[in-house]
Amino acid sequence: MRDRLRADARLLPFIAAAVAVFGVLLRGDANLMQAATFAAIDSVPAIGLSLLLGNVAQISLGQAGFFGIGAYTLGLLTTLGEPPGMPPWLAFALGTGAGTLLAAAFGLLLGVIALRFRGHYLAMATLAFGLIAAGVFRESPQLGGAGGIQNIPFPQLGPLTIAGGAAFWYAWAMVALAAWLATNLLRGQSGWAFEAIRNDELAAEAIGVPTRRYKIAAFTFAGGLAGFAGSFYSAYLGTIDPSAVGVSLSIDFLLMVVLGGAGGVAGAIMGATLIGVANVYGHELENWRPVIYGVLVIVVVVFFPNGLAGLVRRPRRRTGARVNGAAALARTQLSAPSAPAQAAEPACWLAVENVSKTFGGLVAVDGVSFALRSGTLSSLIGPNGAGKTTLFNAVCGIGKVDAGRVLVAGRDVTAWRPHRIAGLRVGRSFQNARLFGDMTVLENVAAGAFVLEGATIGADLFGLPASRRCVRAARERAAAVVASLGLEPLAGICAKDLAFGDRRRVELARALAAGPRLLLLDEPAAGLNAAERARLRDDLLALRARGLTLLLIEHDMRLVMEVSDRVMVLDFGRLIADGAPQAVREDPRVVAAYLGTASA
Amino acid sequence: MLQLIVAGLTVGSGYALVALGIHIILRATRIVNFAQGEFVIAGGLLAYSITTWLHASIWVALAGATTIGFGLGLAFERFVLRPAARVGETAETIATIGTVYVLLYGHALIWGSLPQPLPFFSGGERDRLFTLGGVELGAQQLWALALLVVALAVLRLFFDRTTYGKAIRAAANNPLGARLVGIDVDRARAVSVGIAIALAAFGGTLIGPITLVGGAGGVAISIKGFVGAIVGGLDSPLGCTLGGLFVGVLEKLLEGRYGYGIAEPIVYSLLLVTLLVRPAGFFGSRRAVRD
Repeated sequence: MRDRLRADARLLPFIAAAVAVFGVLLRGDANLMQAATFAAIDSVPAIGLSLLLGNVAQISLGQAGFFGIGAYTLGLLTTLGEPPGMPPWLAFALGTGAGTLLAAAFGLLLGVIALRFRGHYLAMATLAFGLIAAGVFRESPQLGGAGGIQNIPFPQLGPLTIAGGAAFWYAWAMVALAAWLATNLLRGQSGWAFEAIRNDELAAEAIGVPTRRYKIAAFTFAGGLAGFAGSFYSAYLGTIDPSAVGVSLSIDFLLMVVLGGAGGVAGAIMGATLIGVANVYGHELENWRPVIYGVLVIVVVVFFPNGLAGLVRRPRRRTGARVNGAAALARTQLSAPSAPAQAAEPACWLAVENVSKTFGGLVAVDGVSFALRSGTLSSLIGPNGAGKTTLFNAVCGIGKVDAGRVLVAGRDVTAWRPHRIAGLRVGRSFQNARLFGDMTVLENVAAGAFVLEGATIGADLFGLPASRRCVRAARERAAAVVASLGLEPLAGICAKDLAFGDRRRVELARALAAGPRLLLLDEPAAGLNAAERARLRDDLLALRARGLTLLLIEHDMRLVMEVSDRVMVLDFGRLIADGAPQAVREDPRVVAAYLGTASA
Repeated sequence: MLQLIVAGLTVGSGYALVALGIHIILRATRIVNFAQGEFVIAGGLLAYSITTWLHASIWVALAGATTIGFGLGLAFERFVLRPAARVGETAETIATIGTVYVLLYGHALIWGSLPQPLPFFSGGERDRLFTLGGVELGAQQLWALALLVVALAVLRLFFDRTTYGKAIRAAANNPLGARLVGIDVDRARAVSVGIAIALAAFGGTLIGPITLVGGAGGVAISIKGFVGAIVGGLDSPLGCTLGGLFVGVLEKLLEGRYGYGIAEPIVYSLLLVTLLVRPAGFFGSRRAVRD
């Protein structure tokens, strides 16, 4: 995951140097300076789209709409006729601010809408937004209709008129600001949340990432950047009309991001510059130019999905991780990583009251009730399809229950989103070990540790100390947990390259990094070899000894009998037995459920 | 009013064909083809060339464009959709958008950027007009609607009655299962895309005499075809057809009342509104939406 940030860190100094050299050496060439200014203006929305597409995996075909909102807002505000006494620089500043904020507000709106869609539905919904925006620009007489707004005064910064060479420097300063903000976001907790969402949204929720909030934030940020660039665009050109901000501009932004490499900042700038230069020098190619772009996009997206920036990323280190866990380990204990002081432990961590859940006509969970005493280890067993995982999901807030209540530490969490339930220090693992495949082991665990941290998106955006502190704390805690589970040798390996047994263990580590008090494990022993199984048994007992409340779904009866204080048996969605392991094992109904009865 | 509805049904039949093509490709490959409308234009332009360069009749052109369309579809599947599918869903979307660029400007390279007229199916320089209950009908409008119905019927029979049609549906519904019973899933996909593009080319030839073909018209047809597919339900062939017709009629009615500029954004809003209120569309099932 960090490889994109590293690629950015490596490329951005070169880009900055290139811009500076260019600006100084070629200041005499008006055409080139103008092309480079446009490249800068395009880079800013491209950075926003790059974050959306590459870091959060949300496509947007409406980026030109936000650009237009910024452009028209500034155009309107600066041509309305200045209020007496308002100097031109103030009009420009106000127009830019208002354009940026308004575009960000619409970005937020689109983000809220986008929550409901994935994949091509999202592409279409954002496309519709872009089309509607273009239609509104064209049809509003207040915005000048098809002719647009003319005679927008040149931007003023104090006594300085921003035209020609000054515009070049101003535009690239805008890029620097956008790059700084984007990098801050990606370096902070938000970047980790984005990466978790991109890899596996459900798992991200389960470790406490408020996925909706972060997705909306990404759309808002992308919209705001586009509005920011748009407001300068109209002032720089002195005019804005609907044809400049149509859907084809949205597609151009997409093109830039894909060519340059989605994710992070450097790729977006390179893509925008490439297209900007090609647009200047490609004029004699006429219609060949877009045809070539089209072919290029297909080729790049298929063969070089990481674009230009991807070419400079170094292959990932396979081993030799840098884990400074030893020191941290001395301070922490397995499973109790420097947790904030506990409020009085409730007597009952989890209570399920009469919960039912049906899928279509199938009753998966049928009026199940139980309560878990704190500090105990219980197992939920039953034949395949008995409703065990559905019950887990109900506890974690994944899918609505049809009836009944779920109480965690005495609070009714029935209609809560999964990340809020995780925030009550409920950890879980999934039957098929849902790790974040593109992150290393250490990063996976660190992602889990963030639920105990509280940096805000705003703090991330401006790179405040709180943001950095929070990332450092999460990494340290992760290192400690990785060390305590003996995972250091794997710490630098990408999760998707792990063997199955290791995946399970890493998922356990990720859950533990959040300092859970209630831990739900879905078939933790499935697919483990004898040694791994023995280690799991020891871990489970150690966790219980530290006061965690555990609930397992498990098919490995020997393990269940060895570690459980209590065993519950689910069959066809109903709880048919509940008690001490020995008693349950001898219950005739349980035997019947597993082996069938003579009469059945 | 009635006059506008008839005009709407005519353009709507074009949207319906686009919607249907999108549906067929989506079913077979789980890819939404943003370039479907460009293939409609490509078909119309091919037919135009067949009539002008080869001096063939429009019927020969219809058959020729449809056949070449099928071949284009096979190539599109092999060289764009299949490779992109190996990368991921975003790549698929972006690759079909890249195809829009290639076709849109490729058309301009070959045929120039001005729309071209196609000959009328009934012959003659101008369309024959009928008056039916006070409504003026062009013969071409009747041809377009009638041949649309014929095309739909043929497709229906193919997918429901022939073994190969059923095999294609099986491959789309459950690729792994289809593979296990010996269906060549890759080929079934290619043929599906071929059929969808052939349908687009067929449609382009049908509406070409009325709307002219070429220029930037494909983008609007693509998007309105989408709106039709979404409104009717992407996973329902009937929904796609009716949705496309509905969008055509709505567009013409709004246009008659408020002018073209206003009609377009309203039609596009319909896309967003449907996605928000009933994402599966009118005839679609809900489960199709989230994944």
